[in-house]
Amino acid sequence: MIEFLRDLLGFETWLLVIVGALISFLAIFGFVAVLAMVAVWLERKVGGHIQVRLGPMRVGGWHGWAQSIADSLKLLMKEDMVVLGADRVLFKLAPAIVMATALSTFVVLPFSPDLQVADVDLGIFFVLAISSITTIGVVMAGWGSNNKWSLYGAMREAAQVASYEIPLGLSLMMPVMYYGTFSLKAASDAQSGWYGMQWYIFSDAFWIAIPSFFLFFTAALAETKRTPFDLPETESELVAGFHTEYSGMRWAFFFMEEYAAMFLMGAIGTAFWLGGYSFPGMNLLEAGSFLHTVLCIGSFVTKSMLLLLVMIWVRWTLPRLRIDQVMTMGYKYLTPLCLILVFMAAGWEYFKFAMGW
Amino acid sequence: MNQKSALHNFHPAGDFASLPGQEVEFDISTKDVEINMGPQHPATHGVLRVLLKANGEILTGAQCHLGYLHRSAEKIGESVDYVQYLPYTDRYDYLASMNNNLSYALAVEKLMGVEAPERAQYLRTIVVELNRVASHLVAIGTYGIDLGAFTPFFYMIREREMLLDLFEKICGARLTYTYIRPGGVMNDAPPGWLDGVKEFTDIFDEKWCEYWDLLMENKIFIERTANVGVITPEQAIAWGTSGPVLRGSGVDWDVRKNNPYMLYEQFDFEAVKGCGYKGTLGDCYDRSFVRMYEMVESVKIVRQCLEGIQEGEVQHAEVGHALKPAPGEVYAGIENPRGELGHYIVSNGEKIANRMRVRSPSYCNLSIVEHMLPGCMLADAAAIIGSVDIVMGETDR
Amino acid sequence: MASLQIPKEPLPKPTWWGNVCAGVKSTWVGLGITWRNFRSTPVTIQYPDEALPIDARYRGIHFLEQDICIGCQACAKACPVDCIEMEYDRHGKELEWFKFTVDYEKCMFCELCVYPCPKDCIHLGSDYSMVSETKPMFLKELLSYTGLTEEQKVRIAKADELKKKKAAEKAAKKAAEKAAKEAEEAAAPEAPPEPPTKEKE
Repeated sequence: MIEFLRDLLGFETWLLVIVGALISFLAIFGFVAVLAMVAVWLERKVGGHIQVRLGPMRVGGWHGWAQSIADSLKLLMKEDMVVLGADRVLFKLAPAIVMATALSTFVVLPFSPDLQVADVDLGIFFVLAISSITTIGVVMAGWGSNNKWSLYGAMREAAQVASYEIPLGLSLMMPVMYYGTFSLKAASDAQSGWYGMQWYIFSDAFWIAIPSFFLFFTAALAETKRTPFDLPETESELVAGFHTEYSGMRWAFFFMEEYAAMFLMGAIGTAFWLGGYSFPGMNLLEAGSFLHTVLCIGSFVTKSMLLLLVMIWVRWTLPRLRIDQVMTMGYKYLTPLCLILVFMAAGWEYFKFAMGW
Repeated sequence: MNQKSALHNFHPAGDFASLPGQEVEFDISTKDVEINMGPQHPATHGVLRVLLKANGEILTGAQCHLGYLHRSAEKIGESVDYVQYLPYTDRYDYLASMNNNLSYALAVEKLMGVEAPERAQYLRTIVVELNRVASHLVAIGTYGIDLGAFTPFFYMIREREMLLDLFEKICGARLTYTYIRPGGVMNDAPPGWLDGVKEFTDIFDEKWCEYWDLLMENKIFIERTANVGVITPEQAIAWGTSGPVLRGSGVDWDVRKNNPYMLYEQFDFEAVKGCGYKGTLGDCYDRSFVRMYEMVESVKIVRQCLEGIQEGEVQHAEVGHALKPAPGEVYAGIENPRGELGHYIVSNGEKIANRMRVRSPSYCNLSIVEHMLPGCMLADAAAIIGSVDIVMGETDR
Repeated sequence: MASLQIPKEPLPKPTWWGNVCAGVKSTWVGLGITWRNFRSTPVTIQYPDEALPIDARYRGIHFLEQDICIGCQACAKACPVDCIEMEYDRHGKELEWFKFTVDYEKCMFCELCVYPCPKDCIHLGSDYSMVSETKPMFLKELLSYTGLTEEQKVRIAKADELKKKKAAEKAAKKAAEKAAKEAEEAAAPEAPPEPPTKEKE
């Protein structure tokens, strides 16, 4: 991208970096905003139909498609309120931090072979590192709100997210070992063989891939604070958790962060397990052509959205765990299972190496 | 007791007083945080306010504050005449109004020394048992919401809607029925109504299996409720609990069985009691378990009623609109979905009761809550309050 | 799996693997149930566009058959919350209505006002929507007209005429009687004087 801009504008490199960053930021922000709207609408419609009702039906005509747009307009116009006794600095800074971390993780997502903001070699490592900063924002929100329920939510989030980094990281080790790279793009490239069907879950290590995918998905639910791990928000216990006292656009930032994180987890699952941007028959098209790129982006976003839909489906099915059970599940169930799988995956890789496959 | 063992042994059986976390020494001085749960809180089912003391996530103290919904119903009972008081009985336990009507009607009939005609008794049994099913559907559905499962609630509401339609057909109201009156019932079942009831009993078992598989068999639900909020049989009796809370602790006491009223002696049904199915005897799971199987038993009773019901009068000829019972005092208790609901009436021979007193199950069941909460986690507070299934309208009256 | 037979014995305590298997299985079953319901037809309706059918016995807002009503106050007396108020004047048998209101801030639709009615003229209707931003709206007038109708006026006039006629006849009769008596008295002056009778109308 920098090269492209240099050819186009011919500025100094540092200026080009800033311009490039600005363009990327706007692109990602626009994408996340649209994504959050679509995801909220999907959540309400899917939730509605699962609960044998209809969900929003009024705004926009066809099945209330414009409901999210109307809601975001409402949120934009709402009064931005800071509660009495709140720590104003933390209170106002928290949504910004949360949103910034959510946006910056999108940098490494490979939407197509050509469309990626930055191909970081330690891509998945970068994602895990940045996304855990979200916790700091949430703790700031909980502490700054001057509300005991919010504080409870924030502390739960801190404990939960820190704990689930371990199974999440471990479950990501299986594809990382298989492809021998941390880069999401390299992993996606490696899965584009067999006319675009050489996905990890169809590979020779499918018997590791499938259980590891379920472990990853469970840990991802906990990372994104989704039911059954939505302890920081728990409507029925903590009212709304850490964002109880927020209103208007600041609250919307927390909401957008949640959906952005869900999409991100879906994208990681797609990139490592479900073949990334590859789609059946992609080798028949000329790499780099317009149609190829569009279909790659479409394939990547569709797969990620499908995973997001599964998250929504799970949310409307399961009850919520208690905080100690969340910890028990993380440390006593997911981590040992992940470790076993890591050993099995390592053994399988060594076996393949020894057999010379 | 140290922090670790406190976490793994929330409910030292039989001893609510020993609080965990008290003997742990911290390097810095800490103070228990006081939290107000309610009066406006999603998990308190109305306007109950629980003042919680918590050491982190673990509760060290709890105090219930009642009376936000006090409408002095009993005092009103001493200032309006006997029939006029009927609509007020609807409003204690607004999820099971038929049962409240029945308790009051039985008390007044006892005072007057009359008995409702047989068809009226059958109709009463049908509506009361259907109302019990409706009430338990809401109880378990909202309990699911307390624990984070939204969807079962909507499925249960879907079936409850069928029941409410039936009630609307027979008495014209969907929540506050005023259907069962002293001396009989308000009006006879419209044509085809009994077929509607039969239709409901036919489909209910299948739907019940759906709830069981979706909610009661769910591992997370079991984890959240089993071994949480244990009430031993001795405690359950000592605190005067009744209904599913008492039977959940394994005590075999059902007013319909042990102190039968109306036609309950004729029917073949079982008083469901908990057995510690997935955990300890008397835990939150057992109470939900009792409610679930009570629905099956209620539907069984309704089926028997449909076989036995005959044509006939539905209102006792001598009981009119203005009652003037002889002096005396009576108590009539029935098995409400939440426990034993009774009316104690003193009459001195006038049109208006001299003394009206209601024994409400929610109030007695609630008394044990604040002794169950210390030692639990904050999330268990929602689970325990939900499992006792209080209706604040009845608690405060 | 669900069974309608009531279990009597506790299940054995689950093991570590048992927990994992139960968790996976129950989640799978739950997802299956929600999937089936996701594909079923929603049971809700779009309310303001379409409404549920109202049953014949539905207890909604009252309506009054004003022509039959005799103003006996039985419904007002039966009401537990005293929400029925009526004002009228009697013109012989005819009623001149001024007011028959139900205060829906108090009314709880218990239908206790319907049963004591001797003429069966007050009913609960099927209308239930009563939305307003102001309170006076909830004080609903059940009368379809106030004052006297033309028919009533005619009937009252007739009744008055009849009454006047009767009174005149009575007066004539009395006068005749009096005349006869006076004649008698004049004929027999020794009779004792009559006690003074109260002249009515």
